Amino acid sequence: MSRIKAKRVGFRIDMTPMVDVAFLLLTFFMLTTKFRPPEVVKIDLPSSHSLLKLPESDVLTVTVSRDNTFFMGVSSQQSREKIFNAVVKSKLQTAGFSAVAIADSLKNFKLAENFRVELGELDKFVVMARFANQKLRPVIRADADAGFDAVNQVIKIYKKANLLTFNLITVLEKEVR
Amino acid sequence: MGIVDSPNGRGHKKKGRRQSKRIGFHLDMTPMVDVAFLLLTFFMLTTTFSKSNTMEINIPPEKTEVRVAENNVMTLRIADDAMAYYSIGENAPRRIPLYDTRDTRRLALSGELRQLLRQQTKSNEKLVIVVKISEKAKYRHLVDIIDELNLMKIDRFSLDDYTEQDALEIKRAI
Repeated sequence: MSRIKAKRVGFRIDMTPMVDVAFLLLTFFMLTTKFRPPEVVKIDLPSSHSLLKLPESDVLTVTVSRDNTFFMGVSSQQSREKIFNAVVKSKLQTAGFSAVAIADSLKNFKLAENFRVELGELDKFVVMARFANQKLRPVIRADADAGFDAVNQVIKIYKKANLLTFNLITVLEKEVR
Repeated sequence: MGIVDSPNGRGHKKKGRRQSKRIGFHLDMTPMVDVAFLLLTFFMLTTTFSKSNTMEINIPPEKTEVRVAENNVMTLRIADDAMAYYSIGENAPRRIPLYDTRDTRRLALSGELRQLLRQQTKSNEKLVIVVKISEKAKYRHLVDIIDELNLMKIDRFSLDDYTEQDALEIKRAI
């Protein structure tokens, strides 16, 4: 038992299983990772104790930034196209853009996660988004320092569009009571 | 990169010469495994399985009207960053700090306000809390209040507009 073992020089271990597992994990992480697209504006979310998770699809997000500007985003590309055709296209046509330019901006619009909206137009966009997809879940993603007034305007717009259940995005508060 | 050892120890092969199939050659896989682990650690560290947390809110449709007896209504007005005013029925509002002054990070509402909410809802089961937040306040206050009410399992509350009259009402606060 207490015999001192001689140091083994130059021994070999079969590392195949370890490498197998490493590659398995590597492929898993490579396939599941979705890189977050760069944000248009930095949002510092308020914290709460809510544990409810946000659904992944069919989300209509209205983002209110710290300086009270509004951004809107819809999760599916089909809805984005419908919104574009209903609201933005006619505006571009009256502004005298060519068909090619319009097609190009549609392509950009479909890929954009968020786009800037003025408050006066937000209700039109929200109604159109609801029209494009009935199952849409409205969500407010506002900066903690955004004015209450701006957020209240969004709530009123949702109310008018008959979207009566909505979610506020928060981050989990770590402190326990 | 990879070292290929031939078992019989013969070194360089000459170009153009036809080679016989080598049996049991050894390949040094260390660099490949190194790279694999590097990538693995990169993906493991950058991946956050993030799904945002949310709070669900239900608002009544525009045309509904619910009548509540006056003394069952508690109005909570948030005037600005620091002060809340509460009043029951038509009584004069009372001033109460929204956050504890010592709490610099402002994670929770002040102990006083929490105490008050708990006490009032316990003493009157029919109590409805109307929250009115002025435009001078921040979105953070709304979330904090709703969060607090959710934690206390108070679901009889509603949001209302903060009008001129509320501003006047606050002036006669004690």
